[in-house]
Amino acid sequence: MNLASLATRNVGRNRFRTALTLLGVAVAVVAFVMLRTVISSMEVAVTHAAHDRIGIRHKVSFVMQLPRRYIDTVRQTPGVHSATWANWFGGKDPRNPREFFPTLAVDPASFLEVYDEVAVSPADRERWLADRQGAIVGDQLARLLRLRVGDTITLSGTIYPGNWVFHVSGIYTATRRSMDRSEFLFHWDYLNNALPERRRDQIGWIIARVDDPSRASGVSAAIDRTFDVQDIQTLSMSERSMNLSFMGMMSGLLAAINAISGIILLILLMLFGNTMSMGVRERTQEYGVLRALGFLPKHIAGFILGEAAALGLAAGVLGLALSYPLVQYGLGRWLEENMGSMVPYFRIETSTAAQALGFSLLLGVASALIPAVRASRLTVTDALRRID
Amino acid sequence: MVPVSYSVRNLMVRRTTTAATALGIGLVVFVFASVLMLGAGLKRAMGRSGSADVAIVLRAGSDAEASSGIELPAAGLVTASPEVRVRPDGRSDAVGEVVGVLALDRAGGEGVSNVQVRGVPDDVYRFRPSVHVVAGRAAAPGSDEVVVGAAIRGRFRGVDLGQSFEIKKNRRVRVVGVIEDRGSSFESEVWGDIDTVRAAFGREALVSSVRVRLRSAGQLDAFKRAIETNPQLGLTVKRESVYYEELAQGTTMFLTILGLLIAFFFSAGAMIGAMITMHASVAQRSREIGTLRALGFSRRSILASFLFESVVLSLAGGVAGALASLAMGLVRFNIVNFATWSEVVFTFVPTPSIVASSLLFAALMGLLGGFFPAVRAARMNVLDALRA
Repeated sequence: MNLASLATRNVGRNRFRTALTLLGVAVAVVAFVMLRTVISSMEVAVTHAAHDRIGIRHKVSFVMQLPRRYIDTVRQTPGVHSATWANWFGGKDPRNPREFFPTLAVDPASFLEVYDEVAVSPADRERWLADRQGAIVGDQLARLLRLRVGDTITLSGTIYPGNWVFHVSGIYTATRRSMDRSEFLFHWDYLNNALPERRRDQIGWIIARVDDPSRASGVSAAIDRTFDVQDIQTLSMSERSMNLSFMGMMSGLLAAINAISGIILLILLMLFGNTMSMGVRERTQEYGVLRALGFLPKHIAGFILGEAAALGLAAGVLGLALSYPLVQYGLGRWLEENMGSMVPYFRIETSTAAQALGFSLLLGVASALIPAVRASRLTVTDALRRID
Repeated sequence: MVPVSYSVRNLMVRRTTTAATALGIGLVVFVFASVLMLGAGLKRAMGRSGSADVAIVLRAGSDAEASSGIELPAAGLVTASPEVRVRPDGRSDAVGEVVGVLALDRAGGEGVSNVQVRGVPDDVYRFRPSVHVVAGRAAAPGSDEVVVGAAIRGRFRGVDLGQSFEIKKNRRVRVVGVIEDRGSSFESEVWGDIDTVRAAFGREALVSSVRVRLRSAGQLDAFKRAIETNPQLGLTVKRESVYYEELAQGTTMFLTILGLLIAFFFSAGAMIGAMITMHASVAQRSREIGTLRALGFSRRSILASFLFESVVLSLAGGVAGALASLAMGLVRFNIVNFATWSEVVFTFVPTPSIVASSLLFAALMGLLGGFFPAVRAARMNVLDALRA
């Protein structure tokens, strides 16, 4: 029996307490993983944003619109590979008025060119391009609203009043996470032609693909300069910055979640600390015996720290083992299916798992530092005499 | 009955363990109370914005003011309805406003966020008597002056007394006053002259919404029927309090789900913490328990005594956690309202019922966590216990 296994063995000395500690820490690890995943799933839009796309919107606010002719100017700007536009339609399904999903009026051909990660079968694509009332729907949304190709769906407009009839031309998926799989995309022409004269030819925003991602900021600046002298000014930024600014609106929530994650780590420390100090106190006499047998203070400290490390590692592994079924396949799947437009990808990131495991190990060891130092400093006679 | 002081003294003897466990429970209670306070704050911000005797009129299909538009003749027709209260000066007690959303730079320099801008007529303070100018003065009618809500004051660049910011290119507005309204969401808005805002957001000859004060709260149905059945108007009527409730629905649901998950995980963790401590406490004291039984104390009094000890332990933590959470009352929290995409700032609101339920929560965790150890203590065989 070597020293390491001796240290680990102590974990099993008080089975009931160890089991409770493991369970307590595992619960805390699950909570930690859940909160980190909430954050990472919100950051998906930022971390997976396309590098070669820039967004161009009204300078004052994204709810204000741009004249349609701006698209031609953008396309002529040097460095721009292709460009498309979209309007936020704000449609609701009267049968499911509580479901929120993005409905966008887009120019199909150029949209599919700029968003090349949108995967739609050639047959669906042809059907969509040919039918002015056609729409393509993300697979998550299709499942939520139980839509199939060929269905007819009526949406009520919150921004554009009235009932709008669409034909489901196709279902799309995404090859990269930069595209949300719960959008409802339809022909901009269909919307525009139905509007009264004075509301026509207005577009919500422009998305442009640049030839060289490293020059994206230069192209953005050039576009804004062009429009600066016109009656409506624009604000252009990379897709990443645009998503980042949406994230910025959530900063309060993110700060709260971060604070709670920190508190969970403190609770972990308390749980470990309690268990370790109890165990060490109970075994003080044994440490005296070990010292009397010739083990050095560093061995005693090593035993205690080794035990704590084993406990921390075991608890972290257990917590992670519980996290995957609970957070990823339970909560995550539910969220993706029901709130796909807000959390399209609720998956545990590898870095989150590594963090959870690392913190569990680290805090386990940290919690044992004081008991370990104390126990190793005891003189043999004190330790043997100690009655608790 | 085992004397109360026996239980309390036991906690005092094991100071470190008691402190570690109580602190852990305190942290849990702190988070629990904070989440409740956050919910109360959001409810207050949204709830105080609406009153029961006021009806809000929007374009049919719109669910928020910023996406609604009513032409002026229709607005005039609405305010002239017989259900609307008439002021002593003979005018209808009603207000038509223009609402826009403005992207502003955060004062800290990181990112942009959306702020709701409200174009108000001169008599807005007569319609909303609860809104007060707390610093500076009211904006002069027909000018480029604005007042800002106390909650967003200083949070954005240029949004503070004496400063100015652009609501359109080359159109600066000057902040001359700060308004407060019992923590309602108006405190997260910028109020300017109706014509200035109208021009900035290109909403000529329109108002976003019309609010009317009814002769009595019960008149809503009659008013609603009269407006909504008029096909020429194409308007929808909601009670103002209901309107704000619906606006906050998405955000409230998000916070509730998060709060419930946190409460679940945290209470499980805290219960296990209490269980570990009480379990050790019982195990170490088996000889004492045997003595107590030998002295004639019944199983039931032993059970009660240990349960009591556990409850005192978690209440100590609960009190500390609840007290600490009161300090959160000083923190301002910002969250994006998913319905309007603009920011609402509110505070953590401590209420007596939140403090009471936090303490109850702590006591319950002590009771549940202490139950099994207490049962074990009560079940001990006298001879075995004394021999241990």
